[in-house]
Amino acid sequence: MLHLRSHNLLIQKTLSEAYEANEKGAPLTLDRIVSDFDYTTFHITNTPDNKVILWVSIRTKAWQSVLQCDPNNGLVSFLQSKYANAAGVSVSNNTEPGYDFTLQIDLNALNQDSIVQVSLLKTMVLSFPFHLAFQEFAQLCTLPIPEDGSSIDSKTLYAIQHRDDEQFFIKASNDRITVIFETVFQDETDKVLGKVFLQEFVDARKRNRSIQSAPQVLVSHEPPLELQNQKTTRNVQADSSRRFITFVLFPRHFQTEELQFSSVSQLTLFRNYFHYHIKCSKAYMHSRMRFRVDTFVKVLNRAKVDDEEEDNESETQQHTRRTITGRKMVY
Amino acid sequence: MSQSLRPYLTAVRYSLEAALTLSNFSSQEVERHNRPEIEVGNTSAELLLQPMHVSRNENEQVLIETSVNSVRVNIKVKQADEIEQILVHKFTRFLEQRAESFHILRRTPIAGYSISFLITNKHTETMKTSKLVDFIIEFMEEVDKEISEMKLFLNARARFVAEAYLGEFVY
Repeated sequence: MLHLRSHNLLIQKTLSEAYEANEKGAPLTLDRIVSDFDYTTFHITNTPDNKVILWVSIRTKAWQSVLQCDPNNGLVSFLQSKYANAAGVSVSNNTEPGYDFTLQIDLNALNQDSIVQVSLLKTMVLSFPFHLAFQEFAQLCTLPIPEDGSSIDSKTLYAIQHRDDEQFFIKASNDRITVIFETVFQDETDKVLGKVFLQEFVDARKRNRSIQSAPQVLVSHEPPLELQNQKTTRNVQADSSRRFITFVLFPRHFQTEELQFSSVSQLTLFRNYFHYHIKCSKAYMHSRMRFRVDTFVKVLNRAKVDDEEEDNESETQQHTRRTITGRKMVY
Repeated sequence: MSQSLRPYLTAVRYSLEAALTLSNFSSQEVERHNRPEIEVGNTSAELLLQPMHVSRNENEQVLIETSVNSVRVNIKVKQADEIEQILVHKFTRFLEQRAESFHILRRTPIAGYSISFLITNKHTETMKTSKLVDFIIEFMEEVDKEISEMKLFLNARARFVAEAYLGEFVY
């Protein structure tokens, strides 16, 4: 599996099952906890009184920081507008305790398309700061370009803390949007492998002509200039293994709604994709070493002097006979 | 095989053949003990022979330490950069964890080397000496090959993964 999918397969499956069971007239009793990347958990349950109505709740590490991105608290209404067109899905007024956000699903009105929309819930939440940045970009675009040709940068920097010690940042300018990921490598091997991978991310665009229109990627050990005023809440000990990866999105990456969505869903999965492939190569190397060890053992076993074989060679067949049980008879 | 590797391996092969003349030898110090003299702190100098040091360059060396009943072969595997260091470390550790199926492998290398083998007179009695030497030579060849293949694979994979990811942004 090369690409990670932005929708959650398990939610999709659960909802499809529930939908089919409901079609047959026997709604399922559901109480499932589904997990996703970056400490995200979903909870799918029936409402206590009606089996046809489901609640899908999400709890994610990023919720708090995504909420703070907009001073006008636009997150919930943003999600509401996203799910307004999905049949059978509405935003529940009372959030389930212990979770950040709850969707209410009416199985009678559900269809396949809205099932997919629900399984994209995590991406939807994370796309909110991107949405704000796109809006800001549209505003900055209309401003006159300064005479010295420099770009106008937005004052706001959206910081999304999606893991305990890792954040990503979004900043809009009048000609681009900058997305900066910080990532920490927990182990030394990951760090070295990560270096190889990141280098390839930087070089890929230069080398391969067919992907030259992809966003520019930069990697640094030091926080980029965009983050200079950002106060740090981070663990200083991990600083040596911290890397900053900057993606520069050009207007062509977010011209239309669909492009915006596909760019955002790719970017929100960047960290997972990157670490996932580091783990994959480690696993491959492990199985390769296992195979290599076997071949070495075979070579070593060739050196062993086999008593049985020696016997057969030294004595002629006429003198040695075996009984049916394998015992030797010598005469 | 590259031109400079051949003489190196030939030198190691002849040195090993010369070193692998082991005989059963009971401990002089402890009664009813029979231990590899190269491994024990030895007070009797006559049991240890002159060690042989074959060096291709500073990164690739073999040290053959000989004694009356055991030989320790220490191999330093080429580690040109960080990645090779990690790969060599992982690979040798992987082998050492499976030392019981290798009989002659030492669980920890001696300081300054990547991997060590300990061959005692028990081993030369139950195995053909020439085949043992073959094994060590083949091991040296294969390890280098394996490490560089893994490194190439890693780079190729990283490239592929990065291009596949960025390719998603091309519309």
